[in-house]
Amino acid sequence: MAASSTSFTFSSHSTLHSLPHRNILLTKTHYPVPTKSSESTFFGVRLSHSTPLPPLFPCSIRSSIFAKVNKGQAAPDFTLKDQNGKPVSLKKYKGKPVVVYFYPADETPGCTKQACAFRDSYEKFKKAGAEVIGISGDDSASHKAFASKYKLPYTLLSDEGNKVRKDWGVPGDLFGALPGRQTYVLDKNGVVQLIYNNQFQPEKHIDETLKFLKAA
Amino acid sequence: MAASLQTKYPLSPITNNVPRTHRPLPLHVRVTCSASTTTTTKPQPKLVVEKPFLNPPLSNDPTLQSTWTHRLWVTAGCTTLFASLAKSIVGGIGSHLWLEPALAGYAGYILADLGSGVYHWAIDNYGDESTPLVGTQIEAFQGHHKWPWTITRREFANNLHALARVITFTVLPLDLAFNDPVVHGFVSTFAFCIMFSQQFHAWAHGTKSKLPPLMVALQDMGVLVSRRQHLEHHRAPYNNNYCIVSGVWNKVLDESKVFEAWEMVLYFKFRVRPRSWSEPNSEWTEETDISNNQA
Repeated sequence: MAASSTSFTFSSHSTLHSLPHRNILLTKTHYPVPTKSSESTFFGVRLSHSTPLPPLFPCSIRSSIFAKVNKGQAAPDFTLKDQNGKPVSLKKYKGKPVVVYFYPADETPGCTKQACAFRDSYEKFKKAGAEVIGISGDDSASHKAFASKYKLPYTLLSDEGNKVRKDWGVPGDLFGALPGRQTYVLDKNGVVQLIYNNQFQPEKHIDETLKFLKAA
Repeated sequence: MAASLQTKYPLSPITNNVPRTHRPLPLHVRVTCSASTTTTTKPQPKLVVEKPFLNPPLSNDPTLQSTWTHRLWVTAGCTTLFASLAKSIVGGIGSHLWLEPALAGYAGYILADLGSGVYHWAIDNYGDESTPLVGTQIEAFQGHHKWPWTITRREFANNLHALARVITFTVLPLDLAFNDPVVHGFVSTFAFCIMFSQQFHAWAHGTKSKLPPLMVALQDMGVLVSRRQHLEHHRAPYNNNYCIVSGVWNKVLDESKVFEAWEMVLYFKFRVRPRSWSEPNSEWTEETDISNNQA
């Protein structure tokens, strides 16, 4: 099942992995049907687009045959430095659900929206018993400044060299020009139960993961 | 010995809080270091910060008026346009073609809007007054964001001459090289829309009561960019509604996040941040108090 979006756009393609396959997982990108007509005017004639429109950029069917972390698998452990330079291991969070979200970079518009959305919903995540961890390739100093500026209450980890991103198989966007924006929900045993990918609608990561945690 | 350092708008690293540079036209800070040396004492550098020019141009400011040079460029631009249009019409009649040149013309009108948006996005977000070729335009657009009403005070040729110059140098060779009516159908309308985009832009800053009824009607029909749509571009976060011919591409470009995608790619490839990523501070936002007085 793919998450939907309200407007036709290459950027709002999203993938929601919920298939039971372990080793080979084909992800399908659904180009969203607009829920309302989008209108444009050509020489005074208003045209309504009520049918699915092709994306402007061909981010299409993405085969995750080589994805290293799939739904149903135990997430590999890692140890990365947090915003205070302290090493943090994923195994420390065993025993409770964890939302691990990979994002492109601090202080970019999408990532800021996403971080602030996680911040604003943090109490809901805590109520669901979950912890939130953000991971990008920025260093600890950048994370510290970012977390401080936006008063982020959760941990940001520095994946310098993007090693963990590669180990987990987080796909890039725009033919690899952009680091991908992908969120994993791990259960209390560290097994991946949800993977959500959406580069240009960052707030949807919070909606989808909360929806999943509440239903679980 | 004196060294002069002029700060620019830094296209800068993530750790700097780059202010949103919708800065006024001449607003840059000159920092001068001067040092005098003697054989016995160490140089004593002192910093002198010159206050930037902060006032908007007045209505009767000569920089808003047309000069004969401006008028000549507009005339030259229009001449190349008319030549292209004439070639399209005459060639079409001669070849018994009318639909293809007309469709090409329509395509030119539509794509000019897209082109205006892409160009506007680029110069609003990148470069500064020292950028080759377009530095003056970048500076002008920054000043426009500070004092948007000024464009309505500019005389016609003053407003259009820069684009007219570009059109002259671009369309003249095409006039000489091609005779195809379809090519000229496209070129004439594309170039016309680009050259006159600054006039459409000025009308988009006008008030309904002061604009000719025909222009208001064309704006309301979507033939020209509407005042409401362009006003959104002058509001935070200043990263949308870049197209200024008809505005037909604005919704498509904004909803598909094309510019955001390009900004991200440029950031990750070249570590260049667009100006729209930085929060505006009070010094860079539009002077609405003055605009009310000026209106």
